[in-house]
Amino acid sequence: MADNAETSAVPDKPIQVKLVLLGEAAVGKSSIVLRFVSNEFQANKEPTIGAAFLTQKCRLEDRVLRYEIWDTAGQERFHSLAPMYYRNAQAAVVVYDVTKATSLEKAKSWVKELQRQANPNIVIALAGNKVDLVTASSAAGASGAAASNGDDDEDEADDATATPGEDAGEAENPEGLRQVPKDEAQAYATEAGLLFFETSAKTGEGIVEIFTEIAKKIPIDHILNGRGGASRSAAAGAAAADAVNLQNNAPKGKSPCSC
Amino acid sequence: MEINAVLTLQHQEDSFAGKLYLFPPFLCFVSLDRKSVRFTIPLSTIRRVERLNSRAGVFALSLVLWHGMKMIVQLTSMRSTAEAFCDRLRDGLKVQLQLGQMKQVKPFAKTLYSETLCGDSLPAEKSKDGETSPLVDVGATAAAAKMGVEDADDGGEYHRGLGSEFKFPGDAKKLREASKIKLWTAYLRAHGRHLTLARYPQCTRLIQVGLPNRLRGEMWETLSGSLYLRFANPDVYQSILKEHDGKTSMSTEEIEKDLNRSLPEYAAYQSEKGISSLRRVLTAYSWKNPELGYCQAMNILTAAILIYMSEEQAFWLLEVLCDRLLPGYYSPSMHGTLLDQRVFEALVQRCLPLIHEHFTSVDVQLSVASLPWFLSLFINSMPLIFAFRVIDCFFAMGPKVLFQVGIIIAILKINGEKLLEIQDDGAFIHLMRDYFASLGDSAHPNSSDPRVKNITNFQELLLVAFREFSVITDETIISERKRFRAGVTSTLESFSKRAAIRNLKFTGRFSKDQCGAIYDLLFKAIWEEPPRGTGVTGSVDSTGRPETRISMNTFKQFLCYVASWARNELVVSNGFQQRIQRDVVDHALINRLFYSWDYSSKGALSLQDIVMGLEGVMFNDLMSNIEWFFKLHDKDKDGSLSKDEVLQLSESLLFIFRNEPGDAYLGAVSRFMTNAFEYGDSLLEKGDDATGDPEEAPTNQPYLTLPTFRMVVLADEILESFFDSDLSASFRFDEPAAPLPDEPTGLLGGLMSTILTKENKNLFNRVADEIGKTIGKHQVDQRPAIGKLGKELALQEPKPRETLLTPRQRSASSGAAPSASSPEPSTLSSQSLPNVSQLSLSERTPVPPVTPLIPTTIVMERQTFAIDAAKDDDEEEDSMYAIGGDDDVMDEVDAFLEAHDSGLTDAQKAEAQGEARIRSFGAASDIFLV
Repeated sequence: MADNAETSAVPDKPIQVKLVLLGEAAVGKSSIVLRFVSNEFQANKEPTIGAAFLTQKCRLEDRVLRYEIWDTAGQERFHSLAPMYYRNAQAAVVVYDVTKATSLEKAKSWVKELQRQANPNIVIALAGNKVDLVTASSAAGASGAAASNGDDDEDEADDATATPGEDAGEAENPEGLRQVPKDEAQAYATEAGLLFFETSAKTGEGIVEIFTEIAKKIPIDHILNGRGGASRSAAAGAAAADAVNLQNNAPKGKSPCSC
Repeated sequence: MEINAVLTLQHQEDSFAGKLYLFPPFLCFVSLDRKSVRFTIPLSTIRRVERLNSRAGVFALSLVLWHGMKMIVQLTSMRSTAEAFCDRLRDGLKVQLQLGQMKQVKPFAKTLYSETLCGDSLPAEKSKDGETSPLVDVGATAAAAKMGVEDADDGGEYHRGLGSEFKFPGDAKKLREASKIKLWTAYLRAHGRHLTLARYPQCTRLIQVGLPNRLRGEMWETLSGSLYLRFANPDVYQSILKEHDGKTSMSTEEIEKDLNRSLPEYAAYQSEKGISSLRRVLTAYSWKNPELGYCQAMNILTAAILIYMSEEQAFWLLEVLCDRLLPGYYSPSMHGTLLDQRVFEALVQRCLPLIHEHFTSVDVQLSVASLPWFLSLFINSMPLIFAFRVIDCFFAMGPKVLFQVGIIIAILKINGEKLLEIQDDGAFIHLMRDYFASLGDSAHPNSSDPRVKNITNFQELLLVAFREFSVITDETIISERKRFRAGVTSTLESFSKRAAIRNLKFTGRFSKDQCGAIYDLLFKAIWEEPPRGTGVTGSVDSTGRPETRISMNTFKQFLCYVASWARNELVVSNGFQQRIQRDVVDHALINRLFYSWDYSSKGALSLQDIVMGLEGVMFNDLMSNIEWFFKLHDKDKDGSLSKDEVLQLSESLLFIFRNEPGDAYLGAVSRFMTNAFEYGDSLLEKGDDATGDPEEAPTNQPYLTLPTFRMVVLADEILESFFDSDLSASFRFDEPAAPLPDEPTGLLGGLMSTILTKENKNLFNRVADEIGKTIGKHQVDQRPAIGKLGKELALQEPKPRETLLTPRQRSASSGAAPSASSPEPSTLSSQSLPNVSQLSLSERTPVPPVTPLIPTTIVMERQTFAIDAAKDDDEEEDSMYAIGGDDDVMDEVDAFLEAHDSGLTDAQKAEAQGEARIRSFGAASDIFLV
């Protein structure tokens, strides 16, 4: 903190934000990070042992945010190690798999744990991953996914599915895989005060948004000054929101954050 | 049996003094320094034992092993010991021969690559045992295999890993495979191989430069000891697979998720062959050890070792890893992992205080980086070829290697003082990652001497690790583990407690602390009385987390802690100590509670069920308590009790009141019954006049409704007060100001606190009771569940309120009531014989010890149930203090002890008599305990 306070005068020195990813095994935590950090996707990613550590810089207004991402192991027995990683975290992404109802339950229990045990100001985002598996052809099935993510969603939906021919045949199947309705998760997120996204690490859908929105919501002045009134940081966050230098629709392009 | 010995191998000049151990079926040797020379050979590999012509005072044996190697052991202990040792050895060998183990050796050896290496050189010596050509054959097939002939089904084929087909990692030339193999061949020929390998200092050196790929799997087996398991358990692996073929479990599902993500960059794991090998080994192990199941990291480890060894070899190596080398690392709680992280941090603190200090000051935890190193033995941290070399040393030298290597990483970095510059976790991890990536680089890139320049970072790492940190021994690790074990366990416990409480969906009016108290008592009960039966195991909650559920037996134990009426509480005083003994009781009421709390109808209760159940009664007021009790007995939930149920309800009340002093409660219950039946009958008559005689109504007919029940209860002062507050108050989590200190005081109390285990405590209590009985100081008193009524109150019958029946009703039902209620008082009164005499006394304790030698003196003869005597007892007690009855007690104790001393040995007696009385007292008790 002391170090950060010194550097607040120098805008180019990045502001460090510790972020932790939590969620059930094999919901795609590591893949989300990989997509965000290097804009890649690996089908067979080795399971995370303990936790992996990655960083990614983002430019926000005139400041540079440096995300320090702790990507934790999902298997239940690694649970007791988690506090080591979410200690002092300013942000958390809790991931579930939209095709697996139990993974949302697990996510809820993580949220509960974070709200009780972690840093009281922690910004939590809930991410329903693997939405590519349930996104049917753009016209019919994308109703859920398209609703909130803006105008670029139609393109995403096309990217998510392999071939148009298959789409037609399985127009109903993809939605059938879905076990967590978007409304339900959204309602829960609102109630618990979380940011909410449906994402696909495979296509890149919604990934950057998570980190952008978190960046907006994080009380940066608070981090910088180590104190700072709540109202002031809220105002700063709101002001920063419009000026975030991240492009929402760049999943195919270069890494979204200029490093 | 162990014996001092000097070992010499044939054709070797060095001799080593050490100890020879015989643990059938193994013969082991360890040199005196505990590291130079070691071997562990199965007796079944010994083919001939000869007593050598002894010169004066020399007693030497020559052992010939199955492949002809000869070793000489000179037994340097006393001659009689040496001869006894020989006898044992002979017996052990005979047993092995009878078991047919001797015949197992040769086929087993065929599974090992070292036979191929050394086999063809020893035929001449073989013939001595009548074993001639087979070995040559083995050599031939193996040679054929070497040339690329694939014939995995050949029985004579040695076991091999995926590497022989998919290539081993690293460049064989760079790794100097050929010269390593040559060195090892020479070593194995001279010092025995696999089952009979003798580890000489040279062996360790050879291991430290890295095992050759083809021999690696076998050497891992041999060095870790898993070879002996595989030798002793032929076919187990295959039969586990066969037995569980097609079955699935939680573990197999988890394994399936990770199969495609285990060393995916290695060619074999992009093919079905590699994947299915991995699947078989992991699932077989999860079936073998279902409690452990499968933990991520095991997939990476297994994938790595399968490169060098066959499935069966890997299976047994996994067993040794999980069970012995990395105990608790992969268990569901991962306590071993956490423990070793603590140990690691402590070692860093000791060996590298500067770094530790710095890390503390910038709040960086070592484990954020080191945890994966330990869990996956560096396999996913270092480049594979280096990780395997660490693993070579790990199997050869044990877990200390991880600590040495782990620490070393820190020390190497200190050279550049980079570690002291880092400010946060991230920088630390990056530093480590960069360092691992540079392991293959030269450690001295600027050196002009090419030989120095060729030293890689990795070589330097090992060098420093073993040279400078040899102070870290296995003993260090063991003692450090011991030091931190309790701390880690309690951390884990409080963690799972927090999680369990946090995950409660409903806590009602309970505070967090109260839920914590319920949790504690629940687990205390589980510890005391492990749940059994269906619905208990394999339960998972809605998030897939394993859930603890308890069955009826554990519930009774739990309720015994929580509800004062659900236990028999005995106050035992025996002249030395006074203690409260709580016994579990059994009654239909408890079963009723169990089933009414089993909200998900699983036949077993979860923490959530219990919290909800308790919440439903502990905060009740008068009316809701009455309703609660009513519903508890309304089995068919039809809103009214049948006659049977009214009787059961009364029995429940009597059960709750069974230990209350005086007849007041008994009277209340019998009045309750009288009234209940009076009302019930009158209502029944009024309701259906047509049916005629109410007595003939079936006993399972609706009979008493809630409003009527309420009215009847309220008609009685005692019952009203019971439902108003006593019922709710009878559930308590904390031990409210225990009338007797749970920890015994005084002399024996001190002794008692040193007797830690429960069994010892029970034994001790028994002994103390016996002494108490002998000297007439033993007495046991029941404590009441409610204990609200003092004696004064108990003695006088509270006046029943006027019956609420109108005169008309009373006259109408007068005929029916007596017949139903009359038997009750006579049959039930015996159950609740109150035992009030010591009540007030026990509540007034703790009695201060009068002299340090006499812990608690409550000197009274065993009392019969004399209600009237209560007052007198108090006086008597007081008078005993006054006139110094203590001396009498002590005299009696002494007399008793003297009687016992006569049975002691002289030494014990001398000790007992020579010391102060305190000592003699302790000594005598010790003897009882033994």
